[in-house]
Amino acid sequence: MVDITFNNFSLEVGSSTLLSNINLTLGGNEFVALIGPNGAGKSTLIRSALTLHHPTSGTVTINGVDASMMSPIERARAISYLPQSSPLAWPVKVADVVTLGRFAYGASLASLEGDNKCAVEKALKACGLTAFANREIETLSGGEQARVHFARALVADTPCLFADEPIAGLDPYHQFKILKLIKDYVTTGGSALVVLHDIALASRFADRIIWMKDGMVTADGSPNETVTPERLEMVYSVSALVDASGEYPKVTMQNPL
Amino acid sequence: MTYLRLIFTLLLVAIGSLIIASLLGSTPLPAGRFISALIGSGEINDRIVIWEIRMPRAIAAFVVGAALGLSGAALQALLRNPLAEPGVLGVSAFSVLGATLVLFYGVAAISPILVPLAAIAGAFIATGILLVAAIRTSSVVTLILIGVGLSSFAGALMALLLNLAPNPFALSDLITWTLGSVANKSMSDLTFVLPFIIIGTGVIYAVRRELSALTLGEETTFGLGVDLKHTRLATVLGTGLLTGAAVSIAGAIGFVGIVAPHIVRPMVQFRAEQTLLPSALLGGIMLVIADIGVRLIPSSTELRLGVVAALIGAPIFVWIAIKRRAGNG
Repeated sequence: MVDITFNNFSLEVGSSTLLSNINLTLGGNEFVALIGPNGAGKSTLIRSALTLHHPTSGTVTINGVDASMMSPIERARAISYLPQSSPLAWPVKVADVVTLGRFAYGASLASLEGDNKCAVEKALKACGLTAFANREIETLSGGEQARVHFARALVADTPCLFADEPIAGLDPYHQFKILKLIKDYVTTGGSALVVLHDIALASRFADRIIWMKDGMVTADGSPNETVTPERLEMVYSVSALVDASGEYPKVTMQNPL
Repeated sequence: MTYLRLIFTLLLVAIGSLIIASLLGSTPLPAGRFISALIGSGEINDRIVIWEIRMPRAIAAFVVGAALGLSGAALQALLRNPLAEPGVLGVSAFSVLGATLVLFYGVAAISPILVPLAAIAGAFIATGILLVAAIRTSSVVTLILIGVGLSSFAGALMALLLNLAPNPFALSDLITWTLGSVANKSMSDLTFVLPFIIIGTGVIYAVRRELSALTLGEETTFGLGVDLKHTRLATVLGTGLLTGAAVSIAGAIGFVGIVAPHIVRPMVQFRAEQTLLPSALLGGIMLVIADIGVRLIPSSTELRLGVVAALIGAPIFVWIAIKRRAGNG
């Protein structure tokens, strides 16, 4: 378990406010979906926790320590980060990409051994990639490549995982596969913060949804509490039907307003 | 081929090329006399030819090639770009500028160590400018163009130096520096810059895992716990030391730093950290062989090593550039 807290966190670049007075606690054993329209500040929020952005005012702490005071290695051992894309410079092998995920534990491509070797084998197996271990990543399909990058994030064995649109551009089968892997990660004690654009999938898989718009958190709670036609209208400017009779709310989008 | 076997093979070829380089030359040596001179017995004249003329020159070619091969491999890993290299990016040109500056104005007379120091300082300036540019733009084309600009600028400053230089013999010095040569090098020329080469190599080796991690892009690399600032600084420092040292021995020799890593990379599964040492060895071997060519090609005045290196290297550079897919920027 890890405690990540935003205290009155604001980020301004020039005259535009990217994040406005964010107060959030993350890191519990839950699947958190971070949703909101394009430009709402979702990626910026994730990047801020990793200190890729520095606040104009306020703080973000990891286990009570100001995130910017932590060493990169300490931070990487607390939070694993899966960005929207990881453009590869060279056509490396699948197993090597996953091995690089163990950087904070001293793993080297030149000699993979001990704990690092076990972790890589485990992550490859969990993501169904064992058969692809020695393939060049570029010879894999988009869905398989997404799984390789997910395995790279998973292999670090961190208490917390931040994934920025991990299922963008994937077919339904591969979307389910990745979300199922994140769910498994949470079941085994992890804490996941996942940027999603598909509200129906977020409602189904997430334990908690954080809604963002214009750099602000507009709602934060379970899918049953927060997924309402009014909120979809307010945050996304679309009319929608919400069937709240089942285990999780089922959303049908209708028209833009 | 496993990594260790690759290293072992390259080491054997390197030793072989050094022996061949000291066997061949204008004074033919029969095998028997050659071997006895090589192991330190035999006639004094033979020993002088081998150990004080041919071998130092061959070792100088090897050290320069190795330093440039390692610099190229490290810069390419840092900038995530197979076309990055001290020569192409203008680092060598700035390094030459630094060295000629202290030579032409007689500052070098104060202490001979000022020449490598000035060459290294020139390399630092160019690498620093490139680094700032590389952080701001992800475009490979922009970066190469900045390198071209740096080279031209260094060239213009050199021309200015020539105009203003007090020494009438400066032109021939300038040609030696810009075309590159390892002729007439002694062991003491080498021991002089060896510390810079050792430190530069050590600094780059200290960030080898970070260079591998950069395969995944800077954002992911940051998330992995890599200290990007530290990695950039170390690579600039290391390549600056190595390029400056290489330039102060042999002047500007281009393209070794591109060709050697390009050949090595597929043999080590594109692992950045395992590209470093083999690129150094192969770069060294390439220059030793090129220098054998320089000495054996019959011509009224001796060809320059840098010319031969560019004759082979420049077409390969163009070929790599064409082969890169448009999507890679």
